[in-house]
Amino acid sequence: MTAVASPPATRFRSRLRPSDLVRTGTSGIRNRPGRAAFTAVGIAIGIASMVAVLGISASSRADLLAELDRLGTNLLQVQPGQDLFGEAATLPADAPLMIRRIGPVDGAASVAKLQATVRRNDQIPTSARNGLTVHATEPGLIDTLEADMRTGRFLDAASAQLPTVVLGSVAAERLGITNLQLGPRVWIADRWFAVIGVLEPMALHADLDRTAFIGLPVARTELGVKGLPSTVYLRTVPSQVNNVRAVLARTANPADPNEVQVARPSDALEARAQVDQNLQRLLLGLGGVALLVGGLGIANVMIISVLERRTEIGVRRALGATKGHIAVQFVVESTLLALLGGLFGVAIGYAATAGYARRQGWIIDLPMEALVLGVAAALAVGALAGLYPAARAARLDPAEAVRPGG
Amino acid sequence: MSDTVLELKNVSREYPGVPPVRAIDNVTLKVMSGEYTAIVGASGSGKSTLLNLIGTLDRPTEGSVFIDGVNTSQLRDRQVAGLRSARIGFVFQQFHLLEGMTAVDNVATGLIYQGASRRSRQERSTTALHRVGLGHRCDHTPAMMSGGERQRVAIARALVGDPAIVLADEPTGNLDSKTSDDIVALLERLNAEGSTIVVITHDRELAQRIPRRISLSDGQIVDDATTTKEHS
Ligand SMILES: Nc1ncnc2c1ncn2[C@@H]1O[C@H](COP(=O)(O)OP(=O)(O)OP(=O)(O)O)[C@@H](O)[C@H]1O
Ligand SMILES: [Mg+2]
Repeated sequence: MTAVASPPATRFRSRLRPSDLVRTGTSGIRNRPGRAAFTAVGIAIGIASMVAVLGISASSRADLLAELDRLGTNLLQVQPGQDLFGEAATLPADAPLMIRRIGPVDGAASVAKLQATVRRNDQIPTSARNGLTVHATEPGLIDTLEADMRTGRFLDAASAQLPTVVLGSVAAERLGITNLQLGPRVWIADRWFAVIGVLEPMALHADLDRTAFIGLPVARTELGVKGLPSTVYLRTVPSQVNNVRAVLARTANPADPNEVQVARPSDALEARAQVDQNLQRLLLGLGGVALLVGGLGIANVMIISVLERRTEIGVRRALGATKGHIAVQFVVESTLLALLGGLFGVAIGYAATAGYARRQGWIIDLPMEALVLGVAAALAVGALAGLYPAARAARLDPAEAVRPGG
Repeated sequence: MSDTVLELKNVSREYPGVPPVRAIDNVTLKVMSGEYTAIVGASGSGKSTLLNLIGTLDRPTEGSVFIDGVNTSQLRDRQVAGLRSARIGFVFQQFHLLEGMTAVDNVATGLIYQGASRRSRQERSTTALHRVGLGHRCDHTPAMMSGGERQRVAIARALVGDPAIVLADEPTGNLDSKTSDDIVALLERLNAEGSTIVVITHDRELAQRIPRRISLSDGQIVDDATTTKEHS
């Protein structure tokens, strides 16, 4: 009781505790759980797809970035371009040597693509294509590419002089070579070459997976080729990539620097991480549409519910509920419906992300913002969807609603 | 001492239309605390309209309604609602209990809007259910109850807030005669215990048992008779 006497008209003020606000707001849901579940499905689908899109693209990005990290972005490659007349140019034979002399270059190795073919034995005609190439290379290649051996070892100074070969992962598969115990041989340019190693797949150099590597010396002596570099790979000090890049063409081919193409293989991976953003926006948009449809579904069901619950509304008004209390009850109900859908959606979206990422062998990276955003979006849609039905409920004439037969 | 609980001053209620319907026409009326009043009249005479005006569910087009001395026409929605919650109890012909809620929760619904705690709501509702003889059915839902039991739950709901006045529109209209008698007896007992009650009824027999009878015709009071106490 207040000490100051208040005017009689303001003695009475209807009020609703926050806990009762939730209680009244959930009464419709508690009475019809089945309908509530169906109503929430639309929101759940919308939120699930949005969360999954964000989660899957984040996981894919995280995977690409982790791979980039592992592969490093300090690998450059130099290839011959075209001359002034559009004819294929060549790199000088000493290009690798010159490149290795650049200060911040940690290592460089060349490959020279040969016209030769590689096959399982001498019985298979040269005309039968198997999509494999033969490259002459230097022992330093494996370190420069940071490639791993699946089995055996890579060429070294000694084996590079001999008819020995190291196979890329796809090449080994196609030639049917799984282990080296029986001393397998392959037929290259009318000679037998002993297989001494098989490489693991190389993420940035899928073309080299289909290659048989022989030593540059043996190519020159036995096959009689010049072995001009078709590609020179080099590792730079990570902070110096751009500086090295700037001088690379002139160093590799001082006579015709314009005939040199310099590239960074990791750029392709990075581009993949970028391109995803457009697709992501599109999919997010679709998720948004699903969310909108879900919101309209809730609004629709709420409008029906208001009509069905005319009497309840009238009775509550008669018992002391204000228009505001009625409105809030329906807004809370639709918000909770959407929240229900949102939480389910987040769970489904997370499961979809985890399942997909696991199948792809990615790390699962679901940004916290995606979850918070998902729930927040559901809440917002639910509150918005509830506004119109709530206004209708509040406007209902209580005298009409409680009338016998009304 | 006897206070004026309800006062209508030249109240009219016109429903818009062509031509407009003057459902209540210049009604002036006083109800004192502890009175038991019946409103009788032919169908369409304006009984429900009058009760809704008294209960502040409807507002007059002319005149003023005073509850407990408060002029309700000057109140805002929140205050009228608060007034209903604290001072008026409603009993409806069709009970209008909320399905899927226990008897206690039904009775407690109005107390929610007084801001009462859940604990006190439960206590008061249980007490009210005991008063109407349903202390053993507190946790039953309306679907499990007979018509008479439902109406008693509804009466408990009207009483629980300790209102200044209980308004009942045809409370026995949906009940058989035996059950009606029980409800009538209950209302009589509640009145004897101090409740002010206004009942609309078609039932002549019921009306004869009620001390004060206001007859409506075409929205106007045509008779207001009080029988001096003579019941058993
Ligand atoms: N919302 C409305 N719009 C227009 N006319 C109405 C409305 N409600 C009631 N009326 C009219 O007002 C008059 C009084 O109606 P009311 O319901 O108050 O009568 P009643 O005495 O309660 O009748 P009953 O015994 O049948 O319940 C009737 O002529 C009715 O048709
Ligand atoms: Mg009526």
